[in-house]
Formats: sequence, structure tokens, C-alpha cells
Amino acid sequence: MNLSRTARTTLWAALAGGLAVVYVPLLIVLLNSFNADRTFGWPPAGFTLRWWEAAWNSAGVRDALWTSLQAALGATAIALVLGTMVAFAIQRHSFFGRDAVSLLIILPIALPGIVTGIALNNAFRTVLEPFGMGLGMFTVIVGHATFCVVTVYNNVLARLRRLGSSVEEASADLGADAFTTFRLITFPMIRSALLAGGLLAFALSFDEIIVTTFTAGAGVKTLPLWIFENLFRPNQAPVVNVVAAALIILSVVPIYLAQRLSGGEAGAR
Amino acid sequence: MNAAPNTPAAALSRRTPRRRLSAFLHRHAGVRLSLLLSAPMLWLGIAYLGALAALFAAALWRADTFTGDLIREVTWANFQDLFTTEVYRTIALRSVGVAVAVTLIDLVIAFPMAFAMAKLASPRAQRWLVIAVLTPLWASYLVKAYAWRVMLSSEGVLGWGYGLTATIITLSYLWLPYMILPIYAGLERLPNSLLEAAGDLGARGWRTFRTVVWPLAFPAVVAGSIFTFSLSLGDYIAVKIVGGRSQLIGNVVYDNIGAANNLPFAAAVATVPVVIMLVYLAAVRRTGALENL
Repeated sequence: MNLSRTARTTLWAALAGGLAVVYVPLLIVLLNSFNADRTFGWPPAGFTLRWWEAAWNSAGVRDALWTSLQAALGATAIALVLGTMVAFAIQRHSFFGRDAVSLLIILPIALPGIVTGIALNNAFRTVLEPFGMGLGMFTVIVGHATFCVVTVYNNVLARLRRLGSSVEEASADLGADAFTTFRLITFPMIRSALLAGGLLAFALSFDEIIVTTFTAGAGVKTLPLWIFENLFRPNQAPVVNVVAAALIILSVVPIYLAQRLSGGEAGAR
Repeated sequence: MNAAPNTPAAALSRRTPRRRLSAFLHRHAGVRLSLLLSAPMLWLGIAYLGALAALFAAALWRADTFTGDLIREVTWANFQDLFTTEVYRTIALRSVGVAVAVTLIDLVIAFPMAFAMAKLASPRAQRWLVIAVLTPLWASYLVKAYAWRVMLSSEGVLGWGYGLTATIITLSYLWLPYMILPIYAGLERLPNSLLEAAGDLGARGWRTFRTVVWPLAFPAVVAGSIFTFSLSLGDYIAVKIVGGRSQLIGNVVYDNIGAANNLPFAAAVATVPVVIMLVYLAAVRRTGALENL
């Protein structure tokens, strides 16, 4: 391409600078988790592992982590089932309102989180209160599953498009019934798409705060809710910072898994 | 081969209930489709859409000023308050302004990055660069907003303090990858031969950019802007973390649900970002951006 030397250098510099802007704030959180100064004065006052120890022993952090894991696992399980069902319906059938259905799946993440949040809050309170049920873990899982379906749907749909149905037809021709074909042919072919979609659903749910705020009852505190609540308390600052640092380190795990799964074509969703 | 009784070949000769069901489903595509759609449509089509419909219906009701109970009479009073009260107009305009600023900042930062990734980097480097851009997406939203809270605090590395500028910076940071990835994908699809042809015809870098690259990458840019714009418009968490006393539309909705216990007014305010997004989506439909999402 006909680019001047200056233009090339500028573009490379922009890329390097942009990546630096992306990573420097995260590095500072990591460094601050070892900062001996309680208020994170810069430059760091000294090295300490005190805050990591305090976070490890914090009952609030442990409970919140456990709650988040339960919510994310529940929402992922529901999203896997519903997302796969819709993906098959959309890809293998043509019917009236197909575009509307695919739009409906995307709607919960396309609308601002607060709209989904207050709509579900209002609905839960209207529907559940007469039965004497309040907001709790169940409503959090329902809320999260609503916007997690789309990640599984997208991954399975893309896989089904690429595969076509000839292998399944061959299986039927050889005498396998629909269930055997699904177990032996279809499921193994979509398995990695399910894993990728499930991984995204899990991450999306684990990180969610807005819908959670409106669907969690008084007793349910996910990790994001815990962080948000303690963010403004000066004496909790070091522990919050350690939790943040730990989450940054943990975020490498799904990236690694996604790379292993897709052999390099990890999508954002 | 060992013919176990449950192999397909063995089952072929028997009319088990399972086989009959399978054959029935095979013949009746409509039944198959209904079964596949049943649970998802009950969930998303009836429960979720119903909840949304109920919310926007509530925008036409009002809450009793003292008890907070809903009074189910249709009234436009909420929307009247929304449009005639100076402070809500200011907040709505400010929110749109923030969303536009975030989108433009992200565009200016993301385009050169995406271009260098798609057109200058080797295929091997490209793969790593995509991972480098994707990785922060997996880091928690709160953690990233928190990182800026610490850096911007008066004792932090930057020490610029909190406010509307801090909010714009933080939101730009949060949504930057959502702008880079669609533009990168769009530029990657753009054939190098077109750029070479432009060069052969005598166009220098800037002219090639203006007449070839930008028009062809535009749908991808718009696709990225849909993310940055809509995510900024609905946000109220980042404002609370780094915004100091600034308020955006999301905060008004939140405060009316929580402290004020005025669901009808909150619902009316919540229609604002939804309507703005629908108008935006309708406006950009013709650019083909929606196929780039």
C-alpha cells in the first residue's frame, strides 16, 4: 500500500498507544493491590500482602463469590437449553415471524440494562407477591438467563449454518431415529459452540450489575453488588482493590479457553 | 461389528414408542417447530415482552404522591412533567451529549488502531492483536470503572478529580473494544487490491483514506457506534462511580424506582433512551450497519 513512512509510524504508534491506554489502568489496579498505602497514594508507599490476606479471609467476599457462581451457573444452564432450541427453530425451519423471533432474542441486550431491570422488577413484584414469594436467587437467575440466551443462540446458529444438515440426513438414511441422530451426530458437532456460548453467558452473568440490582432481594448479594456497595467505603478500599485485581487475573481464563475452543476465531459474542 | 440391540440398524426393524415418536416428529415439521419454540417463546415472548409492555403501560399511570401506590388511570402527566421540567430536559440533552462524545472519542482512538491491525500487521501478529483487544472485554465492568476511580481520585496517578469529563473518559475506556472490533472486521474484509489501485492511480494516503477506505468502512463504523452510543445512553453506574454529582438519564430512572418509589415516572423516563435508540437504529438501517453487528 502507498503509505508514507510517517503515516505508517503514526498508525503503529496509535496502535501501541491505544493498547497502552487499555492495559495501564488494569496494571495499576494490580500494582495497587500490593500498595502499603491505604488510600493508594501514588507512587506506592511500599509492598504488602496484607490486603490479599484480608480479602481471602473476608466472609463478605466469599459469600458474594459463591452467590455469583450459583447465579451464573443457573443462568448459563437455562441459556444453553433455550438458546439451542431457538437456534434450531430459526436455522432449520422457515416460518412466519422468524425475523421477529430473532430480534426478540437480541432485545434484552440491545435495550439499556436499566429498562430490562425495572421491567423485570415490576413484573416479579406483581406476579410473585400474591404467592408470598419475594425477590431472591430465583429472580436473579431468571433475569440473567433472559439476556444470556442470545450468546448461546448466536454461537449455535453460526455453527448450524456452517454445518448444513446433510450429515444428519445421512444418519437418518442409515436408520437412526431423531434422538439417536441428535446424540451421536448433532450434539458432538455443536458441542464446542455450546461451550463457547455457555462461556460467554457465564461471563456476562458473572459480571452483571444493573439487572441484578433490580432482581436481587435483600438477602442476595452477588460479587458485583458487593463491589459496588463497598466501593464508596474508604476502609474497605484495599479489599475491594484486591477483589478487582483477582478478577483481572481470572479474566485470562475464559480467553484461554475460548482460544482453545475456536482455534483462533474467538468472537466477542 | 457387534450388533448390540440398541444400534440404529437393530432398532430399524422394531416399532418402539421412541421410534414412532421420532417418525411422527419427522413427518410433522410444524409440531417439531412448535416444540422448539415453546419454552423460549413462553419465556421471552410472553414473560419478557409482557414485562416490557407492562412497564410502558405503567408510564401512562401515576403514583400516589403520599403512599406511592399506583393509580391505574391513563394520563400523559408523566410525559408532560418530563418535557416541561427544565432539569429533565437538561439531563436528557446531557446524556445524549455524553453518548455522542464517547462515540466520537472511541472512533478517533479505534480507527487508527483497527487500521494498523487489519492492514499493517502480519497475519500472525493480527491474531495476537485481536486477543489483546478482546481480553479486557472479559475483565469486569465494575473493575474497569473502579480502575479509573482510583486513577482520577485526587491522590491517584492522574488526579484529575471526578465529574462529567471523568464520566466521558471512563465510558470511552469501557466501550473502546466494542468500537475497535467491528471496524477491524470491516477493514479486514476490504481488499488490499483496492488500496493498491488507489495508489497506482496516484492517490496518496489521505486521499485513499477519504475516497476509498472511509466510505467502505463506514457501515462498520456505524455498527461500532451503535454499541458505544446505546451502552453510554443507558449507563448510570459509571456516573455514580466517577461522575461526582453529575446525573444522566439512567440516574433519574434509578432514583425514581428506589428513593422516590415512582414507577410510572421512572417508566416514562426509561422510554427516552429506548426511543432515541430506535430512531438511531432506523436512521442507520440504510447504511447496512445492522448486518455488521
